[in-house]
Amino acid sequence: MAAPPPDATSQLAQVASIVPCGSDGVLLRVIPRTPFGPLNAGRFFMLRRADGVGPLIPRPFSIFKQEGDSIEFLIKVIGPGTQALAGAAIDSDLTLIGPLGNGWPEIAPEPVNIMLAGGIGSAPFYELIQSKLAKGAAPESLLMIYGAATRGFLYDLEAFEQLGVRVLSTTDDGSHGFHGNVLQCLEAEWAAGRVSESAQLMACGPEPMLKAVGRLAEERKLKAWLSLESYMGCGVGICNGCVVATRPDGELGSWPNAKCCVEGPVFANEAVRL
Amino acid sequence: MVSLTTHVGSLELANPILSASGTFGHGLEMKHFVAPDCLGAWVSKTVTVVPREGNPAPRIRETEAGFLNSIGLENRGVAAYIAEVLPSLRSLKVPIITNIGGESLEAFVEAAELLSGFAEIAAFEVNLSCPNVDGGKLPFATDPHVAESIMASVRKVTDKPLFAKLSPNVSRISDMAKAVEAGGAHGITAVNTLLGMQVDWRSGRFGLATRMGGYSGTAIKPVALRCAYECVQAVEIPVIGCGGISTASDVLEFLAVGCSAIQVGTASFSDPGLLSHLAQDVANLLAENGVDQVQDIIGRVNQVPARA
Repeated sequence: MAAPPPDATSQLAQVASIVPCGSDGVLLRVIPRTPFGPLNAGRFFMLRRADGVGPLIPRPFSIFKQEGDSIEFLIKVIGPGTQALAGAAIDSDLTLIGPLGNGWPEIAPEPVNIMLAGGIGSAPFYELIQSKLAKGAAPESLLMIYGAATRGFLYDLEAFEQLGVRVLSTTDDGSHGFHGNVLQCLEAEWAAGRVSESAQLMACGPEPMLKAVGRLAEERKLKAWLSLESYMGCGVGICNGCVVATRPDGELGSWPNAKCCVEGPVFANEAVRL
Repeated sequence: MVSLTTHVGSLELANPILSASGTFGHGLEMKHFVAPDCLGAWVSKTVTVVPREGNPAPRIRETEAGFLNSIGLENRGVAAYIAEVLPSLRSLKVPIITNIGGESLEAFVEAAELLSGFAEIAAFEVNLSCPNVDGGKLPFATDPHVAESIMASVRKVTDKPLFAKLSPNVSRISDMAKAVEAGGAHGITAVNTLLGMQVDWRSGRFGLATRMGGYSGTAIKPVALRCAYECVQAVEIPVIGCGGISTASDVLEFLAVGCSAIQVGTASFSDPGLLSHLAQDVANLLAENGVDQVQDIIGRVNQVPARA
């Protein structure tokens, strides 16, 4: 019986700052009433304005940065929910539900950890790279390939580039970095011998990208973890709205569905069927 | 000290606030957000004899003023409920109401039969009204004769209190209410979700994979209130109001039209901690208005003379 994580709470958080980011994003920093200790990278919170402006149902966002008592979210503004959040007043309150989900698994720095981010899918990687470095991973054991349709969707690229690991950027239109997508960039790195062909992959991005990462990992027999996005109603495992199809022989058991919010959002590639 | 005690048939509830089926887990999954004794009773997600995988995704959509779902009664079946959920409910003081569903009369009867012997279950809510099984067109949601025969058949296999959960998607809900009362229901839950739809005109796609789904949330409160009132007027058995309730004032509106208790559903998605304080909010609101007991509000609309 999948239940919400025991450390999850529903509380108010004060908006500390909202800064535009990229062509359609914002960095939203909040201070929860009751601060959290260090949270696993890749977990998320459900957010909604406490004044009731915006949709009925909160929206899920990965933890982008956690610094002191504050939590920062990287938000692509695409609909009424994200518009309401981006338009919140400084010092106003948000309803903050979480921390939710499992986050990235602890995996060894060898073979090399390759992080594949597509657009706003970069959000859960900042803390992941930070925490791996803090735990002693050598910077050369980590590679991030950050791709988007165009430069404006490479949100806060500079912050990633300042982490001290190799970050390759790619754009579909060639407006920045490698001209192509993240997988073409990875293939080019492999072809040039600049990164080991035995690698562990972690990916977050649009579904076609995640499907392609999954196929690549299968073909090359690489371990891969995918952070999935699904339309969530509650985030705490009770609405059964955000289900992801499981594989009958996978680690999630024989039930055909897994709840993205409490059993994910990070899934082993071989456990799910996209 | 305001008394929130209420009665639904033979059940005495410490307060009139229940969780709505499908919005609060099968057992006590939400106990980290809401302590068990915050609720008058916990209502389970629908359990069916045969496990159901549920409907394809997308299963949920937000609309301008409410929430659309088409989960399709995903659940692992009665056997799993008995093995995995019921043991965790032993020694609880708060009543557990198990919601049972099925696609045929026999399936309802079998579910009740299999679960009837478990003392952990205080009552059954019989889900006659899920809009997401066969498009809500199953006859027991809309045909009074079929609904009556299901209640009468379930009645024969269990002594536990039975509450019939009705659909608002009918021409005359009072006919459905009278039918389930005649069939032996001890109470009525009014109502389940309204059948709704969302579409993207640009892509020509439906929002939900099943095209139609159950519409819930604040937007449906006036419809639900009207349905609950019509049920109260039609029958002698108690009515549990449900639909769009999210505040203490909402709770008292449903009691004022004669409901003995209420259920909160979609609002728990907006704030999973809502039910940890809603009963206290009701007590505070009554105290502010000089009311000592919630019983005094029940049926208040019938106690004042009609407007000239």
